[in-house]
Amino acid sequence: MKKRYDPITGKSGAIIEDVMATPEVDAMPFELNFRIRLCVEEVVENVVRYAYDSGSGYMQVETVLDKNIWRITFEDAGVPFNPLEKDDPDITLSAEERPIGGLGIFLCKQMMDRLEYRYTDGCNILIMEKKIDTQA
Amino acid sequence: MEVKVISPEDKVLVRIMGRVDTTNAARFQEELGFIINGQMKDVELDCTDLEYTSSQGLRVFLMLQKAVQGRGGKMVLTHMQTQVKEVFDITGFSNIIRIL
Repeated sequence: MKKRYDPITGKSGAIIEDVMATPEVDAMPFELNFRIRLCVEEVVENVVRYAYDSGSGYMQVETVLDKNIWRITFEDAGVPFNPLEKDDPDITLSAEERPIGGLGIFLCKQMMDRLEYRYTDGCNILIMEKKIDTQA
Repeated sequence: MEVKVISPEDKVLVRIMGRVDTTNAARFQEELGFIINGQMKDVELDCTDLEYTSSQGLRVFLMLQKAVQGRGGKMVLTHMQTQVKEVFDITGFSNIIRIL
């Protein structure tokens, strides 16, 4: 699928459901399906919250299944931000010490096989890849 | 022998059903606000039917843990599904929130 959501405000749920409804994701085993839902939500949430300082802008979402690699590409024209440069949370801290939040991209890093970020022509581009084990 | 009567003000059992995600995390937090702002020291969250949580849901679980622990109470999450448990494991939440 390739779809542009403009403005992105209020579209989080719709974007997630659109990706989940694609035939390739729909056909995935439950475990993979769960991970993809989670990672898509985390990225979309990040963009909705932080990309557009004033007002709202667009987000484009494209998914492809390239042999056994499922790839999703997110594009927005918000403030340049590389989420992959953010420090990972310290998961050894106690409940009192743990800050609330900051887990979204960390979850993506743990659950996906590859993440890539680039800033091109005024756009943030984030790519996530997950290997699909066809033997499973 | 000893008989201990636990008043409803002290003990609470909550069942969480469905998905906690970006579309409803604010409502989730609001609905559990009585625990965050209350005085209960014995909190059980039954997660049998909790199908999914994103980091938005984790935020609320951490707020609950901080609040209950902060007043010397105990919170426990029970019957958690495997995939949901994995989210708690990856983020280290399994170490700071009691899951049975």
